[in-house]
Amino acid sequence: MTSEPDAPLFADRPEWEDVVPLPQYENVDPLAPIFYTDEYKDATNYFRGIVKTGEMSPRVLELTENIIRQNPAHYSAWQYRYKTLMALKAPLDVELRLMDELAVRYLKTYQVWHHRRLLVTETREPGPELEFITKSLQEDMKNYHTWSYRQWLLAYFNDDALWSDELNFADQMLESDIRNNSAWHHRFFVVFQSGVRTGDENREEVVRRELAFVKNYISLAPNNASAWNYLRGILDHSATPYSQLLLFVTPYSVPRSPDADLVDVIDLENPPPSMGAQLPCVAAIEFLADIHENEGGDDIMKATELWRSLADEHDTIRKKSREYRIRDALQKVQV
Amino acid sequence: MVFPRPFPTDSYDTETSETQAETESTLLKHLPLDPNTPLVLQKNLHMQYLVRNLTQGLPTRYTSQDASQPWLLYWTLQSFSILGVALDPDNKQRTIDTILAWQHPDGGFGGGPGQAAHLLPTYAAVSALANVGRPGPRGGWDQVDRAKMYKFFMSLKQPDGSFLVSHHAEVDARGIYCLLVTAYLLNLLTPELVEGTAGFVASCQTYEGGFSSSSQPYYSPGPSGTSTILNAPRPPLGEAHGGYTFCSLGSWIMLQPFLALEDPSTRPSVDFKALLRWLTHMQGLPIELGGFRGRTNKLVDGCYSWWVGGCFSLLASLGIGGGQGRDVDTGSSDSEGELWDEVDDSLWNRIALQEYILLAGQHPAGGLRDKPPKSSDAYHTLYCLSGLSSAQHNVFPSPARRSQLRGSWSPVSEFNEIRKEAFIEALSWTEEEGTSQIIGGQGNRVNATHPLFNLTITHTEAMMQHFYGQTLPQRKF
Ligand SMILES: [Zn+2]
Repeated sequence: MTSEPDAPLFADRPEWEDVVPLPQYENVDPLAPIFYTDEYKDATNYFRGIVKTGEMSPRVLELTENIIRQNPAHYSAWQYRYKTLMALKAPLDVELRLMDELAVRYLKTYQVWHHRRLLVTETREPGPELEFITKSLQEDMKNYHTWSYRQWLLAYFNDDALWSDELNFADQMLESDIRNNSAWHHRFFVVFQSGVRTGDENREEVVRRELAFVKNYISLAPNNASAWNYLRGILDHSATPYSQLLLFVTPYSVPRSPDADLVDVIDLENPPPSMGAQLPCVAAIEFLADIHENEGGDDIMKATELWRSLADEHDTIRKKSREYRIRDALQKVQV
Repeated sequence: MVFPRPFPTDSYDTETSETQAETESTLLKHLPLDPNTPLVLQKNLHMQYLVRNLTQGLPTRYTSQDASQPWLLYWTLQSFSILGVALDPDNKQRTIDTILAWQHPDGGFGGGPGQAAHLLPTYAAVSALANVGRPGPRGGWDQVDRAKMYKFFMSLKQPDGSFLVSHHAEVDARGIYCLLVTAYLLNLLTPELVEGTAGFVASCQTYEGGFSSSSQPYYSPGPSGTSTILNAPRPPLGEAHGGYTFCSLGSWIMLQPFLALEDPSTRPSVDFKALLRWLTHMQGLPIELGGFRGRTNKLVDGCYSWWVGGCFSLLASLGIGGGQGRDVDTGSSDSEGELWDEVDDSLWNRIALQEYILLAGQHPAGGLRDKPPKSSDAYHTLYCLSGLSSAQHNVFPSPARRSQLRGSWSPVSEFNEIRKEAFIEALSWTEEEGTSQIIGGQGNRVNATHPLFNLTITHTEAMMQHFYGQTLPQRKF
């Protein structure tokens, strides 16, 4: 079923003689024509011929694979290939092994991942997929299709065995790059958004665990937007007031104090910024301002001062949006 | 010159911070040493680049876009429209004939002749026809088979309110946006078509505030094999992303006339505060020249000028944030830009984005791009230009225009109320006079583009007027 790179054109193969190839444009002189290679033109002419007659046979698998290798984004070839596989009741494990090769080669196309999804929906054997996904994420750790395929697999099959090591996996991905937002999103998906998993029944405990987890990551590299977004995500999801983080956030929102090294009582709940941290941290100032705004009353003025400092000094590109927050908050006080 | 600060890495390097640092140093080289260096939009170069693609054809590497032929044409034609040029009648006709060759016999358009119908090329083909088509024989508009297109749409509908992008294909927010724009333009909206769709869109919002590609439904088994979709869990698949966020927010706005009909107690909702925060955080630092990124901790890229930058006027139309626009008296102000700072109550840095596009987005050989040192392509050319347009102009749903349209509506026989609302809402968008802010001077001015459809307002009006059988009242201003 594999196509040799120097395989003869379909037009030169006797076994394709009975198919009438269809050129792409008839009676139209198209604008912006693409200069295809002869091989591509040949294969797609035969593909149009096959689609017209509705043939679904083993040679269609060869033809569509040929096209896909030349242009993995040819969604019609994928679609027709899938219909043919189904019509022929072809062995899907063979198809999956072919996909193992193609997915890594054409990591960035929608179709390789979706085709896999269709196949696994049929075979109902999600188990081996996790390892395959883990391997392909090593090639491209932020690949959107790969991550959403993994999340689909977990949610669609919703099988405890599949989920058992998922938190560990998310941990490992974060350990290799704590700024990988895809991994943070995955963690949120696993912990909060797909039902309650075995061992996670005590939700208050889960929130405490996640808060400790994210605080630790913030302390390692405070200027990591992914971690702050995760922190906000936990709080919003569990309806925990931001003010509960006041003690933790404050040291991140100010320049490093000269006697920082002298602190001899270590508060395990509130890890301090690492030695290399660049302070003050914009996300911490922003967070603190949100706490003050929520408190209302006199605290509104503290919030507006913080927004002012962001607008004028620490995060000037977002000046307009902070000025809007100031106007908005002051208006609420006046009402 | 003040040297812009690098992104703080807290002495903790990872792959993300390393690629970020490389990008910063590349972009920094495009920041002129002399702040008075004129910033010029090389309109002629970009035009020549696009004309070259159109008439001379595209090199072999574009084979990867063979299933996106309608997109290649739409990106090119809409770029022309934003640059203020149009094709001659002969080439227009050739374009229309090319587009019609992509229509599928069972409805919708494919990525090329003989390709399967798919929502994305359907949108691109119809939008391209808005640019070059006309009513009547060979005009392109009346040759679109609307009845079959509607059937095609319905055949893609899923129980959770979403749509497959093509048969046996994936569900994602782009498809929903493309379907809704097409249905708006061609007058195909029905309550049945969009039932449950707003709920699906809302479920794609992630904890970060932006939207993901799709979500996964969970079902509760009901009696006799029926099952209902649970409100939770309904997890988003994939992280918040600029492209999906634009498509989701645009869809959300297009679904407003239908949302108004839903029971308020179960009506789906979106967290706009979180969305607004996420959007503003997508704008890069001065060292990134103020361009937009598409996900947290990824690199800035010219195409997000539109996908993310374009979201702010959509949000403003819902009354969120500033820049809602005012219906101003004409004639009073030709001092464009003079009072910009007082007038500009938008929530993002329009000036910085223009600088990114002008300094980093333009390829010296023509066309626009993701970022240096990449080459230009039709996709980035359009979305950099559209982003530039949305940074220059303030386009908003005008209450005055809305009531004018309401007054001139002549009732239609099917789904009158819904279609009236859709028509009025879509066409109330108006370019605010006198508040454009054009970095680099008037020579850099590009045309305004419709924030929902990314077509010029003139093209949107002409096409919708035709398909809704309406006569548009003259604009009073
Ligand atoms: Zn891009």
